Amino acid sequence: MIYLDHNATTPVKPEVAALMSRALSELPGNPSSVHAAGRLARDAIERARAAIARSVGALPEEIVFVSSGTDGDNQAVRGLAAGAAARGRKHIISSRVEHPAVRESVQWLANAGHPVTWLPVSKDGHIDPATLAGALRDDTGLVTLSLANHEIGNVYPVAELAALARAGGALVHTDAVQALGKVPVSFRELGVDAGTFSAHKVGGPKGVAAVFIRRGLDLPPLLAGGHQERERHPGTENVPGIVGFSSAVVDAVARQSSEANRLLALRLTLEDRIRAIPGARLNGASDPLCRVAGTTSVSFAGAPGQLVVIALDLEGICVSTGAACTSGSLQPSPVLRALGFSDAEAAEGVRMSLGWTTRAEDIDALTDVLPKIVARVRTATRTDLHAMGSENLLSAQRGIA
Amino acid sequence: MSGGVDSSTAAALLLADGFDVVGVTLKLTNATGTAASLGGRCCGPRDIEDARVTAAGLGFPHYVLDETAAFKEAVIDDFVAEHAAGRTPNPCVRCNEKLKFGPLIRFAHAVGATRLATGHYARLDASQGPLRLRRAVDLSKDQSYFLFGVPRELFEEVVFPLGDRTKDEVRDVARRFQLANAEKPDSQQLCFVPEGDHMSFVEERGGGGRSGEVVDEAGQVLSTHTGTHRFTIGQRKGLPVVDGQKKFVVRIEASTGRVVVGPRESTGRRHLRVSDVRWTAGEMPREWPLRCHVQIRHHSAAAAAHVAAPEQGGCQVELDAPAFGVAPGQAAVFYDDDCVVGGGWIEAD
Repeated sequence: MIYLDHNATTPVKPEVAALMSRALSELPGNPSSVHAAGRLARDAIERARAAIARSVGALPEEIVFVSSGTDGDNQAVRGLAAGAAARGRKHIISSRVEHPAVRESVQWLANAGHPVTWLPVSKDGHIDPATLAGALRDDTGLVTLSLANHEIGNVYPVAELAALARAGGALVHTDAVQALGKVPVSFRELGVDAGTFSAHKVGGPKGVAAVFIRRGLDLPPLLAGGHQERERHPGTENVPGIVGFSSAVVDAVARQSSEANRLLALRLTLEDRIRAIPGARLNGASDPLCRVAGTTSVSFAGAPGQLVVIALDLEGICVSTGAACTSGSLQPSPVLRALGFSDAEAAEGVRMSLGWTTRAEDIDALTDVLPKIVARVRTATRTDLHAMGSENLLSAQRGIA
Repeated sequence: MSGGVDSSTAAALLLADGFDVVGVTLKLTNATGTAASLGGRCCGPRDIEDARVTAAGLGFPHYVLDETAAFKEAVIDDFVAEHAAGRTPNPCVRCNEKLKFGPLIRFAHAVGATRLATGHYARLDASQGPLRLRRAVDLSKDQSYFLFGVPRELFEEVVFPLGDRTKDEVRDVARRFQLANAEKPDSQQLCFVPEGDHMSFVEERGGGGRSGEVVDEAGQVLSTHTGTHRFTIGQRKGLPVVDGQKKFVVRIEASTGRVVVGPRESTGRRHLRVSDVRWTAGEMPREWPLRCHVQIRHHSAAAAAHVAAPEQGGCQVELDAPAFGVAPGQAAVFYDDDCVVGGGWIEAD
């Protein structure tokens, strides 16, 4: 199996899995318990917290463990918005290319009466800081913008955007789930008030993520029922998950620069070969350096992305149409719609995302079959099944065989 | 794969025959939060999950294609408009004709598949030369009536693995393969109507017919009703009994809101006009009038008839004996023995 869907999730690194396995068997205690078993587990998660904090430019107390990126985005966005609203600032600014976890959280707030401005993006997915400057109001309480886009891979100038927003008196959250391990991430240097990142995008396990929350800010819990995470995220901590999370983050951040160079070379090869396929269009920033190293979003005109993904799957190659949450349905990608594509065009997006397991052979395997599959899907799609005689149909079949 | 026992068993049989099987389910409605999401109807969210589980259990890949938008346009909008016009639509025929087979064949081509199999009870027989659509061996489950409108060319690539099996045999096969849905009840309701309440569904979408009078054939007002869409030809439910005589719907006048009722004999029809006729068997018959059997509803026997040569795409049908419950909007399907010759849509007199 060729796995080129690292933006959906990454395989767990072996050393991470080994550490987690040990934690599972050797740390049986509940971190909230007073006894030795509890203390050992508590010690493990506090060491993990410190290591993660160091890797992302934060203090340990600024890291709150949560259960997923979606969980973290919900809590950060709703929590900061509530805090700002209490100071009379209800207006929220986000963008049209956010992950559903942010988009839907903001929409939830909009339904609850918060005025919202959705920043537009350019044809290549860029957010112009001047647009943000123009959108800021006296009552803007929260600006939430992702650091890297999950579908097209664009990296956003969050430091610059955050400076603008904070100068206007707004709080800033960034979804860094798709950025960590791919570009340098220091929440301190970004100057944001909150950020979200997740273990399973950096070679760690699913089911554990974190919110960075700047010291002194409130992060009200979404759940009731416990005092964990300094009253900020009730529920018994995922001890082995947090241990694995820490190991994965430390490793991904340490290797970030060299890994980015390695993946960029592979991706440029991939994109050169994709450009040779007629009717292929690469989405997102035209400057390949303005996207994270491992992400390619491509549209093949006249070939629904979902069919391309399925046909590739049957060849043993895993790619996706966009956010994994929308797979299984042929809904046009909201991100590609925001770039100005029609519904039909926005349903043609295919995302290939490279990561720590990717080797040159994986790219070769993909590009060996891709032209044939794109041609086959196009032929199948444009065949007017209701208007053709059986002779035509049979010849069309032969043509795609 | 609808998630029901039929398509799941069809897949299992093909797998056992050595085929390389790929499962696909069409998502046709957004039924989140309704009774349909609890299953028991073809193609609801819960049923998609059943299909996924079946495929995983049998060890072949399974995909979902979202045809929600196309389904609304081709089937639901038509269903509502037909009700509004005082007709009795048949959305299952419409879905097969306009929607289901097109995207599925396209999908098959896209993934390089050579055949499309479904769990329909019908047979495609090429043993006598040209491909013929025939009734299923299990006449109680036969679905050929629903399939007459599928473009004939598409059938060249279709197989119906269940066509020569009985439902009992199919359940036995399902049990043998230990399919999770082996005992799942047959779906009885329209897949897209939440809570099974057709009338509110139609009304919410602007398809409610006028309210008005229930009159006898002499024009005498017997009672009133709350909308013509609540009636179909031959219906007895909801009608007054006059002088101890049961009344049946004879005619629906959508424009005036009048529902005309009479004794059962009055609902009999020997002549009907059928529009948009297609010749499922391929070539148009050469001898007119065509002697055949005509079926006017899913659950009714085909009756001996003569079909006149088509004019402007429509045919006049003359039944040997009066048929009851001939409802505009339903399909009239022409059979030669158990082969589908063609069919069309019943129009008002």
